[in-house]
Amino acid sequence: MISQKVAQQSLRRLAVQQPYALRWSLMNSASPAAVALGRNIQTRQAATSSNSSDPSKILAQQRLVRPVSPHLTIYRPQITWIGSSIHRITGLMLSGGLYVYASAYLASPLLGWDLGSASAVAAFAALPVLAKVALKATMAMPFTYHCMNGVRHLIWDTGAGLTNAQVIKSGWTVVGLSTISALLLAFL
Amino acid sequence: MASIARQSPLLRQSCLSAFRAPWATRNVAQVVAFHASARKQILPPLPQTIQGTMNDPAPIPTSHPTEGSYHWTFERLVSAGLVPLCIAPFAAGSMSPVMDAVICSAIVVHSHIGFHASITDYFPTRRVPKTHTFMIWLLRAFTVGTAVGLYEFETNDVGVTEAIRRVWKA
Amino acid sequence: MSALRTTSRLIASSKPLFRPAAFARSYATVDALSQDPTPSEQPRTKTFHVYRWNPDQPTEKPKMQTYSLDLNKTGPMMLDALIRIKNEMDPTLTFRRSCREGICGSCAMNIDGVNTLACLCRIPTDTSKESRIYPLPHTYVVKDLVPDLTYFYKQYKSIKPYLQRETKTEDGLEYRQSPEERKKLDGLYECILCACCSTSCPSYWWNSEEYLGPAILLQSYRWLADSRDEKTAERKAALDNSMSVYRCHTILNCSRTCPKGLNPARAIAEIKKMMASH
Repeated sequence: MISQKVAQQSLRRLAVQQPYALRWSLMNSASPAAVALGRNIQTRQAATSSNSSDPSKILAQQRLVRPVSPHLTIYRPQITWIGSSIHRITGLMLSGGLYVYASAYLASPLLGWDLGSASAVAAFAALPVLAKVALKATMAMPFTYHCMNGVRHLIWDTGAGLTNAQVIKSGWTVVGLSTISALLLAFL
Repeated sequence: MASIARQSPLLRQSCLSAFRAPWATRNVAQVVAFHASARKQILPPLPQTIQGTMNDPAPIPTSHPTEGSYHWTFERLVSAGLVPLCIAPFAAGSMSPVMDAVICSAIVVHSHIGFHASITDYFPTRRVPKTHTFMIWLLRAFTVGTAVGLYEFETNDVGVTEAIRRVWKA
Repeated sequence: MSALRTTSRLIASSKPLFRPAAFARSYATVDALSQDPTPSEQPRTKTFHVYRWNPDQPTEKPKMQTYSLDLNKTGPMMLDALIRIKNEMDPTLTFRRSCREGICGSCAMNIDGVNTLACLCRIPTDTSKESRIYPLPHTYVVKDLVPDLTYFYKQYKSIKPYLQRETKTEDGLEYRQSPEERKKLDGLYECILCACCSTSCPSYWWNSEEYLGPAILLQSYRWLADSRDEKTAERKAALDNSMSVYRCHTILNCSRTCPKGLNPARAIAEIKKMMASH
């Protein structure tokens, strides 16, 4: 025990004076024999040395460097969360479009833009047919999806239709119906 | 054998930390950034901190029905109201200015609540307090701007549903 | 423990002499000789990619490590594969497990993109597809597949998951329920708090510090629905804020992933209905 303590103190002194030398010696000179004889640092009773007076602090420090496990990128695409994220994205697109247009319309006299319905109709009419249909479809699709999925959400809020089978079925139904109705609207 | 193996991390901590300490502290920020996955981290969470011990319950937010149950009920009523309001223009063909105004205001309220929910979800006060406040005020400004803009559009132009109909038929 | 395991394996290796064949199976390893009368099968090698991170090298990035196992020599479940990897290939692989029958909830992890209990998840027999095993999504990783669930348990504690009652029954004996009242607790009391549902919820990913998450809300509803509990109003008031319940946007990953086949989404819908009518 005493010999260990002496060794420990000398090690500490060495650590203070020549840290790199000590590290080198520790890394390279710990032969299996030294380990077996207890001359290696592994036998030091240093778990509760001066720098770890509060064990909860070690845990707190370990927590700070912990990684966060992967989530969105590794989760299997399922109609539940993919459908929900599309619901939110389409909602943000529709509302964002409305917000941008209405705010721009409010500011248009100041900026000298012409954003009235007449000029919009004229600009849209000037487009080729294919572009018209494509543009209408891309505008109608978020609307139809968000509306139909919104109804699905309202049904869920009554506590109905929440079993896995029903959710999967209604999810794909909404995808199908919204696509069809958007295409219908596009050719209107 | 097993006991030696188990001790080794401990030894690294207790002995080597004496001269590793300055390195470790210098590297903390770098370490955290490094941990973020290879590509850009999505909505990166803060480093883990736990208040209190294992046996303390997580704090309960203060009760606030206007942000809780009343808010939820109101939001659902607006959403449910929007269902007939969305069908009506398709069924009726054209809307009276009053109905147009009702649709517009319902949509603005619905949009505001939706944006607000998104901000609370993705820019929480806890993680990005300044961004949160900024986004909330930006949203308020835009909502007011949109409401006034739509009022202008309703009064000076043909009305929203009629305008969409005309563009669609153009 | 390790000594015990070694002995059992020694015994297993000399099995034909003094052991019935049933005992030859040690943990996740299937002994081909004792199990299969026709050992001439082709080896069915399946590749597993496992998330690794070692807290002793905190500066090193988490990485995926690849292991290949012959499915003929492995038990049928993912947990068998993990235990076999740990026993025979890489003793440093770290994961939690205990009961291996889906009642302790320790081995919850993300397997092939879905949260489940490794002990209840069959290894897909299609060997051309590689399996990927991650810890529960968006959790702080203690090591490898071990997430830190401290805050999850603190949240559980915050909902006071115990019977709260002031009045005694008339006869001073137990608090009785009618069969109908008891039936309301079916599908709620079975939850083992494995955290599969909570960590599958994107809303919980973004706001796990304040949003309680499906598992805790299911437990919350378990006490709200209990006819013997008298603190329903207090319980509801504690949930009546923007974060605790109302970060739920009915994404429904929770019910989809629950390894016990429960329906946290329905419980949350019921909570919202209860809250709306008070």
